[in-house]
Amino acid sequence: MTAAAPPEKPELDPITVEVIGAALLSIVDETGEALVRASYSTNVKERRDCSTALFDREGRTLCQAEHIPIHLGSFIGIVPKILELHRIEDMAPGDVFIGNDAYMGGGTHLPDIVLAEPIFVDGALVAWTVNLAHHADFADRGHAHIYQEGLRIPPIRLYRAGELQKDVQDLVLLNCQVPRERLSDLRAQMAANRVGVGRFSDLCARYGAGVVLAAGDALLDYAERKMRTAIAALPDGVFHFEDVFDGPEFETALPLSVKVEIRGDEMRIDFNAPPQQRAGANMTWTALAATTYYIVKSVVDPSVPPNAGLARPIAVNAPKGSFLNCAHPAAVNGRVQTCQRVADLVLGALAQAAPERVTACTNSACCVATFSGERAADRALWVYLETFGGGGGARPIKDGLDGVHVHVTNTSNLPVEALELEYPLTVTRYELVDGSAGAGRFRGGMGLRRVIRAEEDCLVRVDVSRTRSRSWGLLGGGRGGPGALELGPGVAPFRQDRGELKAGQWFALVTPGGGGYGPLEDRGEAEKAADAQDGVTFAP
Amino acid sequence: MRNDATWRAGVDSGGTFTDVCLFDEATGRTVVWKVSSTPSDPSEAIAGGVAEGMAQARPDNASPASAIRYFGHGTTVATNALITHRGARVGLITSEGFRDLLEIGRQKRPSLYDMFADKPLTLVPRRLRLEVAERLRHDGTVETPLDEEGVRRAAATLRDAGVGAVAICFLYSFVDPAHERRARAIVEEELSEAFICASHEIAPEFREFERLSTVVVNAYLGPVMERYIRRLAPRLEALGMSVAPHLTQSNGGIVSFDTAARAPVRAVLSGPSTGVVAAEAIGRQAGYADLITFDMGGTSTDVALLQGGQPKLASEAVVHGYPIKAPMLDIHTVGAGGGSIAHIDSGGLLKVGPQSAGADPGPVCYGRGATEPAVTDANIVLGTLNPTHLLDGRMEVRRDLAEAAIAALGERLGLGVMETAQGVISVVTANMARAIRVISVQRGHDPRRYALMAFGGAGPLHAARLAQELDIKSVVIPRNPGILCAMGLLLTDLRADFAATRLLPAVAASAEVAEAALAPVVAEAETWFEREGVAPEARRMTRTVDMRYRGQNYELAVAAPPGPVTAESVAALAEGFEAAHLRRYGFVAEGEEIDFVTFRVEALGLVRKAALPERPPGPADPASARIGTRRVWFPETGGFADTSVFARERLAPGMTLVGPAIVEQMDTTTVAPPGARLHVDAINNLIMELA
Repeated sequence: MTAAAPPEKPELDPITVEVIGAALLSIVDETGEALVRASYSTNVKERRDCSTALFDREGRTLCQAEHIPIHLGSFIGIVPKILELHRIEDMAPGDVFIGNDAYMGGGTHLPDIVLAEPIFVDGALVAWTVNLAHHADFADRGHAHIYQEGLRIPPIRLYRAGELQKDVQDLVLLNCQVPRERLSDLRAQMAANRVGVGRFSDLCARYGAGVVLAAGDALLDYAERKMRTAIAALPDGVFHFEDVFDGPEFETALPLSVKVEIRGDEMRIDFNAPPQQRAGANMTWTALAATTYYIVKSVVDPSVPPNAGLARPIAVNAPKGSFLNCAHPAAVNGRVQTCQRVADLVLGALAQAAPERVTACTNSACCVATFSGERAADRALWVYLETFGGGGGARPIKDGLDGVHVHVTNTSNLPVEALELEYPLTVTRYELVDGSAGAGRFRGGMGLRRVIRAEEDCLVRVDVSRTRSRSWGLLGGGRGGPGALELGPGVAPFRQDRGELKAGQWFALVTPGGGGYGPLEDRGEAEKAADAQDGVTFAP
Repeated sequence: MRNDATWRAGVDSGGTFTDVCLFDEATGRTVVWKVSSTPSDPSEAIAGGVAEGMAQARPDNASPASAIRYFGHGTTVATNALITHRGARVGLITSEGFRDLLEIGRQKRPSLYDMFADKPLTLVPRRLRLEVAERLRHDGTVETPLDEEGVRRAAATLRDAGVGAVAICFLYSFVDPAHERRARAIVEEELSEAFICASHEIAPEFREFERLSTVVVNAYLGPVMERYIRRLAPRLEALGMSVAPHLTQSNGGIVSFDTAARAPVRAVLSGPSTGVVAAEAIGRQAGYADLITFDMGGTSTDVALLQGGQPKLASEAVVHGYPIKAPMLDIHTVGAGGGSIAHIDSGGLLKVGPQSAGADPGPVCYGRGATEPAVTDANIVLGTLNPTHLLDGRMEVRRDLAEAAIAALGERLGLGVMETAQGVISVVTANMARAIRVISVQRGHDPRRYALMAFGGAGPLHAARLAQELDIKSVVIPRNPGILCAMGLLLTDLRADFAATRLLPAVAASAEVAEAALAPVVAEAETWFEREGVAPEARRMTRTVDMRYRGQNYELAVAAPPGPVTAESVAALAEGFEAAHLRRYGFVAEGEEIDFVTFRVEALGLVRKAALPERPPGPADPASARIGTRRVWFPETGGFADTSVFARERLAPGMTLVGPAIVEQMDTTTVAPPGARLHVDAINNLIMELA
């Protein structure tokens, strides 16, 4: 079909913009709720490892729901890729594109499968409703390059004019270890898109598509203005910071550095890193951009709406083909660890410009354990993925948060009573780690320790960081405690990132603590007394 | 009970005012009385208000309150204790390895982007969270037996620490509560004075953190509620009242004080739930079964949805930061009210709230020094609110100050003063519309099919604009919007909810087991009827089953056909589930298995309620109610229009008004924009139809 021309966009007053902005927020909240509620997999229904957003015709983020910041990386990548590979003139209402690839699909790692659907009003493509679910699949793979990591899906149609392309779906499902979960989560993603198309069309019917699109433009400008105002409030200057990245895939830690240049109302951020590695922790450009936007917004003005406008005053650079801006065929499955380190790297640089606006280093990781096996009863494959929070960085006026997800992720844990019902695993302890908090006038947050016993033989892959390096304190604050793997009796030492548990054996993941803020000598008497009573001790 | 006891009393105890609504069954007479609340001991204002109100009602009687035959009460005492963290010192006894779970929660941080945000205060400090060895498996088998000596030692530690309450929560107690029961018995021996509760009694459902949070909140509020009831009951007796008082719970149901004291966590939404209950009763009498309630006050707005005359229930919610698993009305609150402050943010857009001018200094027009305009100021400038006086002339306002503040805001936006004032209304309306979308579209209900019932001090003022924003056609404004919560207590039945979780495939072969699961729940409801003294002919039960596709985590409630569960009713339930799933999510998962999850019974004890007296319609001409005109600015007319002002107390059934029009009464103002039509129904509701 030939798509009609997009509607004219009128001039709008600031009140209409605010009113339509509220309506767009309602839409992404609602699509997110539909996705979680209709899904089957523990990773989506309980852990909420998914996100929803609306995009304009050109593929710019109009509005992202407050779910998982790193998912913005896949979002900002996919619509431009679709537009590169497919002609708008060939698109029809009811077309739904599926994609996950880090190089051909704008994604950040393969388990994050995106469904994007164009929204038409009066025959013209006016916007996109897009959602992402982390499909806990593609387990027990290699990570030397992306071909080992799972099925690569470029943006292709899963539905054509409302009709399921069953051959595409069959191909995807055949490459998954738990196809029933995949199918039902894809259905939930479809349900979410249907809500998005319906609500956005209603909004256009009410105000006129031109008005809604003009409001979208104005909202991007608004985010840009807010961002510029907030950056301008910081002192001008050039700020350097460096740290290392350590993980089980690497014998020696990789040096990472950043230069943040603040000039007027703009910020230029240059990263430096070693070349990309034969490992899963490489970051794509979209992951780097999403992470940088997240941390700058959080520091300068958390109230800036998360749309494409906020990126305009920020320039992000990293050498192409490097660990932080990798190129085909680098593997990327474990990129979230690196994202966390990058966020703290920027935090360290901005601490020099505005120490009152930042925290000390967080636990700087998003520890992940993926268990997989074959059920003894029916030989069905099962995969259970869990991410573990850690210590938050101490803050200029208070202690850091204990046992939380930081920076680019914020998924829930899986309740023990749900986990043990679905998988042959038992959690025997789940606690805050004594001696993990960075010391300080304000202490860093404590890490977590979760002890898991296998009831049947299974494989474990861990994706962790900060087991050899430590999270830094600020202005005299102490370092956070390191992360660690603890192996129960009889468990063979892990080979790099993977190990094996026999029925009855246990293993524990200990996550790092956050850094402290200010010298410990300045800690208040009341706080010291409470520390003693509650058994809170600091990392040595 | 005495024969001349013909009065019913409803008392809504809020943070600022205590409203008393009295109704004489013999004559149909209503008396409304408002007194200032006494926050340090709310029972003082309650008893005082009832005594004063009854003295108005029966001036010549020496013991006027002795004529009360029913006393219903809604309270914010539990909510306030939770918000201000003035609950009991609580000790926790939990499974070994899990004492930090209360703090870890679901490991999410409180705000995605704000690194300075905090989690809600942990109600039990680490030093009072004690572990004992015990462990069940998910199927209920005992892996580690309960260490009874360990429980005794923990109880002794908590006794020495001086706790006022103890919460007990073990893994899988919802599968088999034996360990919790035994631990409870031991703790009772060791701490006879403390308020003790175990998680299986309060929330016997899966997901350990949410169950733990619920039982801890219950323990935290237990001593507070006990103290409250201990103070209130004798005060009421001293007035000569001889009836057992009742209290509303978060589910809108009314229970005896004894029941309320056992599970105070079920009363955290007691206050706002009575407004919804009132709306339900008024809607029923006025012929509106599908309603969205809109209760807008000074700082916040509560909204809820009623379908087919039934308010929607949630089985779980986060209240003031704490997850609570308890049946409660699905009430959504947003920080938007008459006092919400308008400001321009750093990106140049107009924002309204959530900061509020509060009562002091209040909006700019109060003349008490505020300079940032609030929603009330915008209404004063537009003329939708009386530009010289509020509260029936008792309070003077300064339009000039309000206009200057709005004009200053408009200058920065590049808009004129009237456009800016209307803009403030549009933005606050958009915020409230978002709240309504949460309880309607997000739950699969199209708001266009609902009527809006507006109450609270600012509800009727904003209802028409909100209805227009949501394409709602009809607005209902009850006769006394300001005391609707107290009124609700006189219009409701006794109500309680019972449930049992039993995971079963929804197939014919399960019918017998399903019946076996449902029967004890029905029996529980029967016991409750007995305890509350509900006569057999006044008993009503509604049975529903929460169902989902196998593997899903969220259920949809489906009404169970009458009679015992059979193969036929299982088929009907499965069909009902698929229809509900299609409506909510837009698809039916062909061939997927469906599970029964939770069997629920709602028990209703019909009581004689205050029936609002109906009057036949009189003449349509409202001239006799007209008290003047004033100039009001409407966007439809693009300027000021001379607008008739009517006195609510002079409006009589049958009268018809055409917008633009203003209706004033002591506790609120109703705005009918151009094109709207208003009429007064038989029970004195104002019904507004929007074009």
